[in-house]
Amino acid sequence: MNSQMHPDEAARALAEIQLRQRQVIDLATLPRWYWWTVGALMVVLAAGVDTGNRGMLAVALGVFLLGLLGSTGWIVGGAYRRAPLRNDLLDQRGVLAILGFVAVIVAVTLGIAFTLRATGVSHPATIACLVGGVMMGAGGPPLMRLLRRIMLSNRAGSPR
Amino acid sequence: MSAGRFDEVIHAPTRLAIVSLLAASEWAEFKFIRDTVALSDSALSKQLATLEEAGYVEIRKGFVGKRPRTSAKLTQAGLAAFHQHVMALQEIVARSGVTILPR
Repeated sequence: MNSQMHPDEAARALAEIQLRQRQVIDLATLPRWYWWTVGALMVVLAAGVDTGNRGMLAVALGVFLLGLLGSTGWIVGGAYRRAPLRNDLLDQRGVLAILGFVAVIVAVTLGIAFTLRATGVSHPATIACLVGGVMMGAGGPPLMRLLRRIMLSNRAGSPR
Repeated sequence: MSAGRFDEVIHAPTRLAIVSLLAASEWAEFKFIRDTVALSDSALSKQLATLEEAGYVEIRKGFVGKRPRTSAKLTQAGLAAFHQHVMALQEIVARSGVTILPR
């Protein structure tokens, strides 16, 4: 059949392969609300730290952990339970993009926090995490789009 | 890199869709495949059985709590056959000069 197959039919089959793989990749896309939730939880934790009160810190830590576990569990329990992505779709570029994103947020947040504390500004951790949280919320979706592009380029049938 | 090899088992339209989904995932739930490819339970079971007989798919039946859950996974042989099939299709297309726009 191979030798008799019309190129149009082969092209249609390749397009079908790409479409089906895209459906799995799209399933794994983290929604916008997830990034803003993580950003907001960072601010809650930092506010707890800034109070200097152990009770408030414990409450903030509890909210942070429960919120993070709950939101991540929601994502994992939904899309990832149905069809988890193959690891090899996300190559070195993807791993570097994720690590770079986290490194920039941590560096900016810590940099602001230490600078504010050194200059005597009140609530330095909260203000710094507010900036870090906004970066997380605003930067998460573009990161996700980049990861999606990388995974689409790595799916079978894609031009290399 | 090995050359492309056209695979009749994979190329059937429904099975091509199923194998393509499985090739992008570590494994996939029966329900997810059924809903995505728009098949009935029995039609999907039949196609999965054909792929299992060919040694391309591994079917796992388990329970989550009290609910039965069936999932499917491409075997190494299935993944290799899929990639060779894709290469065979790409060779046919490349010879003709047709362009495929990514979807």
